[in-house]
Amino acid sequence: MFGSQLRQELTVMARNGEQLLLLIGIPVLLLVFFSQTNVLPTDGLANIDFLMPGILSLAIMSTAMVSLGIATGFERSYGVLKRLGTTPLGTKRLVAAKVVATCCIEVTQLLALVAVGLILGWNPSSINLPSLLLALVLGTSCFAGLGLIMAGRLRAEINLAAQNGLYLVLLLLGGILIPNSELPKSIAWLAEVLPSSLLSELLRGIFGNDELKISDLASLAIWATGACLIAVFSFKWSD
Amino acid sequence: MSAKSCELRTVMVMNNSDPSRQDALSVRNLVVDYGDLRAVNDVSFDAKAGEVTVVIGPNGAGKTSTMEVCSGVRSASSGTVTALGLDPKKNRLELNSQIGVMLQDGGVYPGSRVLEITEHYCNLYDNRTTAKDLLTAVDLNGRQKSTWRKLSGGEKQRLSLALALAAKPKIAFLDEPTSGVDIFGRDLIRGIVRQLAEDGCAVILATHELDEAQRVADHVLMFEHGTLIANASLSELRDSHRGASQSLEDIFRSLSGKSQPSRRL
Repeated sequence: MFGSQLRQELTVMARNGEQLLLLIGIPVLLLVFFSQTNVLPTDGLANIDFLMPGILSLAIMSTAMVSLGIATGFERSYGVLKRLGTTPLGTKRLVAAKVVATCCIEVTQLLALVAVGLILGWNPSSINLPSLLLALVLGTSCFAGLGLIMAGRLRAEINLAAQNGLYLVLLLLGGILIPNSELPKSIAWLAEVLPSSLLSELLRGIFGNDELKISDLASLAIWATGACLIAVFSFKWSD
Repeated sequence: MSAKSCELRTVMVMNNSDPSRQDALSVRNLVVDYGDLRAVNDVSFDAKAGEVTVVIGPNGAGKTSTMEVCSGVRSASSGTVTALGLDPKKNRLELNSQIGVMLQDGGVYPGSRVLEITEHYCNLYDNRTTAKDLLTAVDLNGRQKSTWRKLSGGEKQRLSLALALAAKPKIAFLDEPTSGVDIFGRDLIRGIVRQLAEDGCAVILATHELDEAQRVADHVLMFEHGTLIANASLSELRDSHRGASQSLEDIFRSLSGKSQPSRRL
């Protein structure tokens, strides 16, 4: 039952070609373009070393928030969720299938991006794997929660716009392409507490072999818990 | 099926099994509110295994809301529903494994292919129903590779029915199964509905097409403005309205407008 649902999730994902652009195309394009040009400030790091952690956060955000959120929003509006609600599948197995599908895609993205990064000369210091995994799990939970809050309430078309809009905001205010230190003071404080910044800063620390910033980790954990709780309690299965 | 053979069947069921199970579905004092709007107002009825219970009434009369509460998709504002001895909310998954549901909108992703989605639904239930058998039953074997998006209205309804059959249901909730379906499709769907009942399933079928209702009903529930204005077997209903021509439409007209409060015939 679970396996069949997981296959469905992945099939639907794979069938939407535009998803591929969002999930792999845009991150790779940004990574290649900005590592080969010197138009962005990079906080004193080599272009690729600054970009890589940010682009990985962007990839996590595109899968866990935008892709999952848009797909779930449409499933809700087509009545797919309501229909599945009359079968023995159950919420737990449905959510588990979505979690595993999301992880499968993230692993594929990370492998592809790391490969491109290494070709472009990315040279991370020794990586603390448990810290990396923890940061990725927290980031994924947080973005999935945010995506599902919107998917569970908004009409499918508005949800689509909202997910893409938030993606852009979190990209620009996320220390992903532009270091937060370059932002005007009036919004830099905001950017620093946004989950995209927290995740890219954590990853930057982990790849730079710095000490793990517990405060950033705790803030991201708060975001993740809050977003998931709100999603669970606000989610409507059908309009 | 005549009313008499229905009664016989009921007696046999009573003798052979737990008497509390003779009614596959039992609804008492059901109320469904949407904000200020009362969609279903104090409705009570039973539906028996082996019978087709047709829920009729105009659009917005409360048919779909009632069906959705009974199948666990929606919560009741008050009242109780017992389906196969279970509470549709509390024992949801246990009940879901024994019921088949056809929603008004298909509930299928437009890009899903016919065979793929049917196989998926077969995998959701613990029985040996195969996708090929289901698609043969609804005459869609030639459309296995088509996407839902490309199916005609009638084909969508037939696929939707096939997905409901994947459960080998003891109760089938079919909401407007023949709307948008051509004459051959209607015959096919009616045949399946009758067969389900013959096999002992309690079929609850909502429609606003009274001609359709007349062709398949054993038992009739008439809704108007959220209340039940008639709850009787088709033959009882006809007997009690001998003055009128015996069409459901005329019977409905003669009962309509006297809907407060709900009454049993």
